[in-house]
Amino acid sequence: MEALLKVEKLTKRFEWVVANDAISFDIQKGEIHCLLGENGAGKSTLAECIYGYYQPDQGDIYFDGTKIDYRSPRDAIKSGIGMVHQHFVLVPPASVIENVIVGTAGAPFLLDFKGTEKKLKQLCQNYNVDLDPHTKIWDLSVGQQQWVEILKALYLDAKLLILDEPTAVLTPQESEQLFKILRKMTADGISIILITHKLNEVMQSDRVTVLRKGKRVDTVITKNYSKNELTNLMVGREVILDVKKDNLPLGASMLRLEGVNLRDEWNPHVLDDISFTVHKNEIIGIAGVAGNGQKELFEVLVGVTTPDTGKVFLDDEDITHMNPADIIKRGVGHIPQDRYLEGLLEEFSVADNLILGSQHDSCFKKGPFLDQSKIATYAEKCTAEYEILTPSIKTQVDHLSGGNAQKIILARELWQSSKVLLANRPTRGLDVGVIEYVHRQLLKKRSEGYAIILISEELEDLFNLTDRIVVMYKGKVMGDFKTEAAKIEEIGLLMAGK
Amino acid sequence: MTELLTTQIIVSILAATIRIACPLMIAALGELVAERAGVMNLGVEGMMLMGAFVGFFVTHQTGSPIIGIIAASLAAMVFSLIMAFMAITLKLEQFVTGMALNLLAAGLTLFWYRSFQKIVGTSVPKIDLLENIKIPFLSEIPWLGKIFFCHNPLTYLAFLMVPMIWFFLYRTKYGLELRCMGENPAAIDMKGLSVDTRQYLAVMFGGLMAGLAGAFVSVASSVRFVPDMTAGRGWLAIVIVIAGNWRPKWILVASLVFAFLDAFQMHVQAIGFKIPYQIFLAMPYAIAIVALMISRTKSEAPAALGIPYRRE
Amino acid sequence: MIKLKFVKRTHNNLRWRILSFFIALVSSLLVSGLLMASVGQNAFEAFWALFEGAFMGQEAIMDTLLRATPLIFTGLATVVAFRARIWSIGQEGQLVMGAIFAYGASVIFSGLPSIVLIPLVIIAGFMGGALLGGFCGWLKYRFKVDEVISTVMLNYIVGYFLTYLLSGPWRSKGSYYLQTEEVVKHALYPVLMEEYQLHIGFLVAIVTTVFMYFLIRKTSLGYDIKALGMNPTAFRYKGANIPKMFVLVMMISGGVAALAGTGELLGVHGRLNMDISLGLGFTGIIVAMIGGLTSIGTFFAAFLFGGLVNGGYVMQVMTGVPLSMVYATQAIILLFFLCSSLLSKYRIKKVTDND
Repeated sequence: MEALLKVEKLTKRFEWVVANDAISFDIQKGEIHCLLGENGAGKSTLAECIYGYYQPDQGDIYFDGTKIDYRSPRDAIKSGIGMVHQHFVLVPPASVIENVIVGTAGAPFLLDFKGTEKKLKQLCQNYNVDLDPHTKIWDLSVGQQQWVEILKALYLDAKLLILDEPTAVLTPQESEQLFKILRKMTADGISIILITHKLNEVMQSDRVTVLRKGKRVDTVITKNYSKNELTNLMVGREVILDVKKDNLPLGASMLRLEGVNLRDEWNPHVLDDISFTVHKNEIIGIAGVAGNGQKELFEVLVGVTTPDTGKVFLDDEDITHMNPADIIKRGVGHIPQDRYLEGLLEEFSVADNLILGSQHDSCFKKGPFLDQSKIATYAEKCTAEYEILTPSIKTQVDHLSGGNAQKIILARELWQSSKVLLANRPTRGLDVGVIEYVHRQLLKKRSEGYAIILISEELEDLFNLTDRIVVMYKGKVMGDFKTEAAKIEEIGLLMAGK
Repeated sequence: MTELLTTQIIVSILAATIRIACPLMIAALGELVAERAGVMNLGVEGMMLMGAFVGFFVTHQTGSPIIGIIAASLAAMVFSLIMAFMAITLKLEQFVTGMALNLLAAGLTLFWYRSFQKIVGTSVPKIDLLENIKIPFLSEIPWLGKIFFCHNPLTYLAFLMVPMIWFFLYRTKYGLELRCMGENPAAIDMKGLSVDTRQYLAVMFGGLMAGLAGAFVSVASSVRFVPDMTAGRGWLAIVIVIAGNWRPKWILVASLVFAFLDAFQMHVQAIGFKIPYQIFLAMPYAIAIVALMISRTKSEAPAALGIPYRRE
Repeated sequence: MIKLKFVKRTHNNLRWRILSFFIALVSSLLVSGLLMASVGQNAFEAFWALFEGAFMGQEAIMDTLLRATPLIFTGLATVVAFRARIWSIGQEGQLVMGAIFAYGASVIFSGLPSIVLIPLVIIAGFMGGALLGGFCGWLKYRFKVDEVISTVMLNYIVGYFLTYLLSGPWRSKGSYYLQTEEVVKHALYPVLMEEYQLHIGFLVAIVTTVFMYFLIRKTSLGYDIKALGMNPTAFRYKGANIPKMFVLVMMISGGVAALAGTGELLGVHGRLNMDISLGLGFTGIIVAMIGGLTSIGTFFAAFLFGGLVNGGYVMQVMTGVPLSMVYATQAIILLFFLCSSLLSKYRIKKVTDND
C-alpha cells in the first residue's frame, strides 16, 4: 500500500544542536502512528518540519505521492495536514467559529459564519461531540478546547493529523474519549501521528517510531512489543519504572487546611471548602486536570494569596494571613509549576538564583551589603551536591538546560526549607534521568520528616510516590484516599467531576 | 454659575466639545488598531507632533490646508515605521522605543521650526486655516445645528471613523485576524500568516491617524505653530484607549467626556472664576489619572499587548 | 535574499557594549550632519564649534560639568526605576518639585546658617521628589494606574502648579517675568572654583553616583530592585513585598531626580522660574539608557550629554544652528543606541543551509 506520508533522511539543525538526524519513516493511510521519545528526542521538531513550521535542512518529505516543500504551515494546511500543538494556539475571548475561521485561505472579506457553522455542527455530530460553535474558548474545558484544535484541522478536510502530547492535560476518561474520536477518524481514512512519551497511549497505536537523541531507533508494530521493551528502546537502557518507597510510620500533623474558600471576579468557587491534613513523613498527591484550583491552592499555601474564608495551619500556627516571606522563614519550600516564569530570574547567575528568597539573611550579608564570598561558597556546595551542570556559578541561568534549572530550584528550596515542601508538577518537561533524581529527592525528604504536597497530572507518579491522593475538581476536594487502596478508574472519574 | 447656563454658552461648550474631541478620537482610534494588533505604541505624542509640524509647514509652503493635512498624515506614517522596525523586527522594548520617538519628534520639530523661522525671516509664520463646512440645511437647525453641523471636514471624518473602525475590527476578516493577533499571535502564526506584516500595517495605520490628529491641532485650529503644540494629547489618546476598554464605541464616549471637561474649563476661564486658572488647565491630566483609578471593569486589554512576538 | 537571525550571546560582552555605543554615536553624528545640511547649515563648522565649546579648554570642561550635573541626577533616577522595570518618566515633574520644595525650605528656614541650611534645603528638595514619586508608586499598586501615564500626567500637573506659584503667591513683586524673589544668599550652593559657575551640586552628584553604584551592585536592596525588574512573579513567590518595593523605588527615584531641580535652583538660576527644567528630566532618560542603566555609565553619559548642551549653546552663537539641534541629536543617539545595543546582546548570523 502506498504510504500517505514518506519521510526520507530528514535532518534539522538548530545552531549546534542536531534536532533530527537523517530520520526516515512512513505513515500509512488510516493508521495511528506514535512518535515515541524522551524530552528533547526531536519528536516535536520532526512534526513541525512535516507541518511546514520549520524547513528541514536535508532530506525529503513526500505527501500523497508528491514531494513537498512547505514554506509555512499554510502550505501544509492546504495539502491536508493539520496539527494540534501541546500548548493550544487558541484565542480565549473569541468563539469556536472565530478560532476556526480566522486566517483560513479563501475566507470572505466580510465575515460570514453561516457556512462554517453548518459544517462545524456536522463535524461535531459525526464524532459525537456536543459543542455549540458560538461558545467562547475561555468558557470551554481543556478537553473541549482540544477538540476545537482538532476541529480546525477537520474543518479544512485534513488527511493527516498530528497531535503533540494530547493527553497531558486530560482526565483518563477524556483520554478515552479522545482515542474513540481518533479511531473514528482513522476509520474515515484520516491518518494520525501521535507524539507522546506516555506508554499507555503508545500501546493504543498501530505502529511506533522510537526516537532517541534525534535519531530514529526503530519503527515497530505496537502489539508485538511490551511497555518495558518500548521504554528500553526510548531510553537506551534498562529503566526501572517503579521507585522504591519506604514504609514509614505517619508523623505528627504538620500542614492543615480547614474550609479554605477562595473566589475571584470570574469564579466564586476557585477553592471550595478545601480541608485536608499533611503529616510529617508523608507525601500527599493532588490529582486533577490543570485549572481546577491546584495552582490557586499552591498560591494560598505559599502565602501569595489569602483565602476568603477558612484557615491554614503550619505546625499548629495559623498562617492563613501570613505573607510569603514569613512562611518561607517557617521552613516551607516550594517548587513552582513553571520553573522560569515562577521560580527563576533568567538573566541572573546560578549563584544569585540560589539565594533568591534568602538574600536578606544575615548569613549572606555583611551589613547592608551582600557577602559575595559566602554566597559563592554556598553556591559551589549546591552545584556539587545536586549535580548541577554549569560552566560556573556566575553563568546566567537561561543558558542551562531545563533539567539543571530545575535542580537549582530544588537545591534552593531544599536548603531553605525544613518542614514542608510544596511541589507543583516538578518533573514537567524533564528527561527520565532528572525525573528519577527529583523523585529520589522527594522521597529522601519524606524520610527526613518533611510533609510534602505533590501536585501532578501524571497519575503514574502519584501512585508511585504518594501516601495519600486528594482529587481536585473545580476547586473542591472530590476524594481523599490512601494511595495503596486507590483505584485509577475511580480517581479518573473524580477528576472529571463524577 | 448661572452665567454659564445661558443657552449661548451651553451651545458653545457643546460645539467646542465636538471640536476638541476630534484629534483625541482620531489618535485614539489609530492607537486602538495598533494595540489590538499587540503593539503598545507610546510614541503617539511624538507622531502627533510630527503631524502638527509637517501639516503646518506644508500648508504654509503650498497654501493648501488639504495638502498639508495629507502630508502630515503621511509624514507621521513614515515616522511610525521607525517604531514598527524597532518594536517588531528588532523586538526592542516597546516602552523605550516609544519614548525615544517622542523625544526625537520634539527635538526635530523644534529644530525644523527654528530653522524655518530663520529662513522665512519672520518669527511668527502664519497659515490659512482649514475652513469649516456648514452642512446645508442641517446647520440651520437652532442650537443643534451650531453644535453638530458647523465643523471642519476633519471633525466629520473623525466621527465617521468610529463606525468604520468598528466595522473593520468586527465585521471583516482582517479585523478578526488583527484582534486574534493581539490576544495570541501564535494562533495567527500557526495558521501560516505573517504576524510581522500585520503588526507593521497596524502600527503604520496608528501613525497615519496620529499624524492626522496632529494636523488637526495645527492646520485646523491654529494659524501658528507652537513648539509642543500637542500638549499631551497623544498621551490622553492612550488613556482614552484604556478608559474605553479597547472598544470603538467607548473610545468615542471617553473622548467626548475628556473634550467636554476641556471645553467646560475653557469657558469657565472666560467667565473669570476666583479659582486660579491653572487648576482648569491641569484638569484633563488629573481626570486622566482618576479615570484610570476608577476603571475597574474587566479589562479587555489584548492579552499579548506590548509583548514582542517570538517563535519558540 | 540573505536572511539574518539573532543568536543570544552567552554573557554580556563589555567590548561589544562599548563598540555598539561608538557605532551609535558615529551613526547619529552622520544623521545629525545630514539634518543640518538639509537646512543649509555647514555641519562641519557646527560640529567643530560644538566640540570646541564642550571639551576644549578648562572653561569648556567646567561648563560641561555644570550642564552634566542635573543630568547625572535625572539619569540616576531613571536607572533605579528602570532597573526595576518601573517605567517612570516623571523625572521632569520630580525635578520641578525638588526645586519648589527647596525654594520653600530656603524661605522658611532662611534664618539658619549656611552649614545647616544647605543640607536642610537639599533634604527638603529630595523629599519633594520622593513624595511625588512615591505617590505614583502608590497609584500603581493601589489602583493599578500605569506608572507611565501617572508620571506623564503629573509632569503636566506639576508644571501648572509651578506656573500658579510663580504667577500668584510666590511671585516676585514688581517683576515682569514669572519668577520668585532671589534665594537668600546663604542658601545658595557655593561654587567650586572662583572663576567658574560649577557648584557643589556637582560634588553631590558624584556622591549620589557612588551611592547608587553600591546600592544597586552590592546591597540586598539592589538585588531586590533588579529581581523586581527581572521577574516580579518569581520574586513575589519568594517573599517580596511588591507594593512596598514600588513605592520605595519610586521614592528613591523621585528624590534623586528632585536633587537635579534643587541644584538648578541653588546653583544655576538662584531663583525659581519657568526655565528650571527645560527637558532635563527627559534627557536624563536618554542619559541613563546610553549609560546602559548603570550608575557609572550614566555618570559618563551625562558628561557627554552635558557637553552636547554646553557645546550646543556655543554652536548656536557661533554658527547660528539652533540649540534644538542638540535635542534632536540626543534623541537620534538614543534610537541608534537602542538598535546597536542589540549587537552586544545578540550575534547576527547569516541563515545558511546548515541552519
